Amino acid sequence: MKKPVLIIAPLIVACAAAFALQQSYLPESATAGETIRSALLGGAKGSSAQADSAGEYVVAQSGRTPARRTQPALEQPPAPATTPKVDETALRYFARQGDQRRLAAEIARLRALYPDWTPPADPLAVPVQTDASLDAMWKLYADGKLAELRKAVQDRQSTEQGWTPPADLMDRLDLAEAREQLINASDLKQYDTVIRVGAAHNSLMTCSEIDVLWRTAEAFAKTDREARAKAAYAYILDTCTDPAERLATVQKALPLLTRPDLDTLLAKAKILPDGKSEFDSIRDDLARKAVADAGSDPKLVVPQPDIERVEKLATATTGPSDPLILGWYYLRRNNFEAAEKWFKLSYDRESAPSSAQGLALAMIARSRPAEAEAVMYEWRDSSDDTKAVYMAAVANLLAQDPPVEIAPAILQRMVPEVLEAKDANAAQQLGWYAYLLNQFETASGWFSMALQWKPDDEPSSYGLVLTRQQLGDAAGVAAIQRRWAGRSERIARLGEQRKTRQPGLAPSPERFGDTLEQTQLRPTLTTPLALQDMPASTSPPTPPAPPRTLADEVAETISRQRADAYEQPALQTEQAPRPRSPEARPRQAPRGATNNAGARSVRGCTTTIDPQALSPENALSRGWCLMDINRPLEAAAAFERGLLSRSEAQRSDAAYGQSLAYLRAGLSDKAAVAASKARQQQSRQIELDIALLSSRATEAFNAGRPNEAILALDQRARIAPERTDLMILRGYSYMKLNRLADALRIFEAVAATGNKEGLRGIATIRAIRNKEY
Amino acid sequence: MRAYACLLCLLLAWAGSGVAMAQNLSGTVKPADWAAYKSRFIDAGGRVIDDANGNISHSEGQGYGLLLAYLANSKADFDLIWSFTKTELLLRDDGLAMWKWDPSAKPHITDSNNASDGDILIAYALLLAGGEWERNDFIGAAKTIIGGIGKSNVVKWQDRLLLLPGAKGFSESDRTDGPIINLSYWVFEAFPKFASIDKTTDWMQLSMTGVGLLNKASAGPRSLPTDWMSAKTQLKPAKGFPAEFGYNALRIPLYLMRARIYDRELLTRLRKGMTSESGQVVITDSDSGNVKETLSDAGYAIIPALVACVLDKVKLPEAVRSFEPSLYYPSTLHLLSLSFAHSQHPECL
Repeated sequence: MKKPVLIIAPLIVACAAAFALQQSYLPESATAGETIRSALLGGAKGSSAQADSAGEYVVAQSGRTPARRTQPALEQPPAPATTPKVDETALRYFARQGDQRRLAAEIARLRALYPDWTPPADPLAVPVQTDASLDAMWKLYADGKLAELRKAVQDRQSTEQGWTPPADLMDRLDLAEAREQLINASDLKQYDTVIRVGAAHNSLMTCSEIDVLWRTAEAFAKTDREARAKAAYAYILDTCTDPAERLATVQKALPLLTRPDLDTLLAKAKILPDGKSEFDSIRDDLARKAVADAGSDPKLVVPQPDIERVEKLATATTGPSDPLILGWYYLRRNNFEAAEKWFKLSYDRESAPSSAQGLALAMIARSRPAEAEAVMYEWRDSSDDTKAVYMAAVANLLAQDPPVEIAPAILQRMVPEVLEAKDANAAQQLGWYAYLLNQFETASGWFSMALQWKPDDEPSSYGLVLTRQQLGDAAGVAAIQRRWAGRSERIARLGEQRKTRQPGLAPSPERFGDTLEQTQLRPTLTTPLALQDMPASTSPPTPPAPPRTLADEVAETISRQRADAYEQPALQTEQAPRPRSPEARPRQAPRGATNNAGARSVRGCTTTIDPQALSPENALSRGWCLMDINRPLEAAAAFERGLLSRSEAQRSDAAYGQSLAYLRAGLSDKAAVAASKARQQQSRQIELDIALLSSRATEAFNAGRPNEAILALDQRARIAPERTDLMILRGYSYMKLNRLADALRIFEAVAATGNKEGLRGIATIRAIRNKEY
Repeated sequence: MRAYACLLCLLLAWAGSGVAMAQNLSGTVKPADWAAYKSRFIDAGGRVIDDANGNISHSEGQGYGLLLAYLANSKADFDLIWSFTKTELLLRDDGLAMWKWDPSAKPHITDSNNASDGDILIAYALLLAGGEWERNDFIGAAKTIIGGIGKSNVVKWQDRLLLLPGAKGFSESDRTDGPIINLSYWVFEAFPKFASIDKTTDWMQLSMTGVGLLNKASAGPRSLPTDWMSAKTQLKPAKGFPAEFGYNALRIPLYLMRARIYDRELLTRLRKGMTSESGQVVITDSDSGNVKETLSDAGYAIIPALVACVLDKVKLPEAVRSFEPSLYYPSTLHLLSLSFAHSQHPECL
């Protein structure tokens, strides 16, 4: 029997997408680059001194015609037409100011402009030019006061006949203005302007203007001129030498270029003295990005080296994020084992909703919903996604086939979550769970709840119709069949199927296959898993002999866990029904421990013996004997043996006895299972149901779950009048839910019978109300 | 029909006079007035400050600054203002200026839309200065801007050309009552200059449409245009703007006169409408004609006075003949008015 995995594929998709969005996985490079850029910007006006290679002018050209180049675009600067008289005024100014950085930059710039020029050995040795006004202009330039410099130049030209400003100063002023304009336009995302200004000022395209180069490259990329963007980045890597700037260049290109283009750029990496490649960290980021992207898009193919790189990183580093992206990557490729491994690693390193989600989804996919529930419970309220994953864990846990017993504490915490989330699927699964335990009233309640939240749900309707059938509600069955006429074959054919199945037993397990197949849910899980866990039992409409029902398996599972049962406190024994049919169980056996009187206590039952050694008939007698001396758990074991009797009447008796035994031991779930092991007379069945529901209501109330207590009481009320003590219980349940008016109504009804508990209840309600006002 | 024909004659005559007029404009703002103006409204970095609007700057202010610097014959100040304008505002992909610059915001541009009057003023000043001072860089920059205005702001609507106030937010597709126009954005004196160097847009037709619309825009008891109007069908106040003859529209008579469009009927109607019984310039509600604000500033008062002088030879009152900076906007209008009187109607002074 394959275990069903309820639809989690859409959840995987949704969670992966949310994760991707939230991560918006991009290497931190962008910010690092920004820092570098602003650092450069600070010095940009004087420029950093590294424009020492001639001909470092990239072609910005007109932004409109695509450039085709074989070489990284190198164009000579607009060469002066006549033999240049090199203007050294700036040089000397900076030298006098002691501004070494700008001095070096100026030397580099002049060398680039005039390859034949040799800088003066000592710029300070040259006779000092005493042009205070020009010095002031250079100062304005150095301070970036460009508009004021413009004005100063004009002022002097107007007042001083024949004075012309140094061409060098004006060139630099032009460039500086262009740089300002370009940077402002770039900041305001006016990329056409960036390209227009850049194109008109080739001299800006140098390594010393790395920021301008970056912005121009970005503008190309942002205006769909990828080839030109790539050429610009490539130019920088081919020409510029500053390691930090080179690294930043590739980082800037990351979000803008395609992977093949980036790979071309990465190939330009230099090998560092330590033998590492200059752009290793970027390759890491790229691999991370590829794997992260693939985590939200299963169609993306990630190159194996990238995966290996990230796996190596995930192992080598200690952070949670690398294993996390691997988890999503494998989850989306249905490699749940690998997914679980990486999610687990991430979760162990840092517990967080995203890794918990992934881990739980992988566990569900690997048919371990109980662990998934355990992981997700803590995170269930973190987001809509975590809630959805938690509900998926709950539904899958309940839907396990064969069912496993769910610890009461777990059931207790799941139920309110289902109610709060109004999760129709989980409610349906609670229905089946109860159904398999033959708690038909409870099952009916949950199926109805599911239908309330999702009115046209065929599986829940199917569950409800089966339940009604079990409860003998022919009119109810017919009503559902009418409603689904022509829409669900299995609901329509219910009457026919019934003939092949023993009433009182759980439906055959193909329900899961049927359910999912018919409602078209299964195809959404387009995974190998979906194929492999299509239940094999879909084909045989009637199970082969010997028929092992689900209930058998449940019982088996539970009996394996019987050891737990001894830890359960015995509760509610007084509520266990007293058998009414004398022919079924003559109760003449006295309480005396060693009394052998009566057919069933031939040998007495105070000594401990293995019931397996007894014949079924003798085991049955021993069971009743043990009940009489109030040793219900041993009695249950004896009745188990009694179930093997060839007589149907005896088997029925054994099941009834075992059910009573469990009820007396306070194990109502097991009692319900036991009751289903053989056909019961209807009167006995109802008797047991009433007892079970009473027990459930009390348990729920004692466990602080008044909602469930009321649910059980409602169900019980449908088959039996409510006893006074249970009315009191109902009253206090309402009170806990702050439904004071309802509580008061109940207490008043009880009080009307002269019951003191009723009066006390009324007093309590009044006290609460007085306190509130 | 006859009126239209006359208007055409008038415009043709005016177009012919454009160049001649431009040549003697430089130097028509007195150095002392200019010095006073710039010490108040222009900072060291070339930014023209609108001190009535939180000290922001805008393309209109930079345009006025450039025009006044040219009229004051100050190459240095022109270069100063232009440097700021170019690097801080002329950033739009379509080659136009972003209209709003806020010193306290980062980035300083707080609205990247353009304002067509600002761009017109900038381009016009560049053409004047470039021509007279032989600065080809100015002429080139002006051409780019003029092309941008034609592309982004001039639209054909019901067979006539309209000037949209900005590239975004005013067109037929942007608003249900679009297109929206502002008749004070028609800087009439600029259009003949534009027409002389740019043939892609019919600037003279645009100018004519403006005058034609002014002749139609005669709302309320005062028969005045509204600052912001919907031109979708019949002219009416645009939704979401105050329906008033306001600070925008009061410069229209000045623009008309500076362009030498001496349409007596139109100018007289505007002069009367904008003047209170006590002779002060008023801002009025378009529907009721009620006075919303009375403006005593000489920069406003000089406008109807100038109309009276041009049409009826009434000398300008003493109070408006000398310049004293007050706030950026009236001071600007004041200098433009005085410059016009100096160059064209010295008899008014």
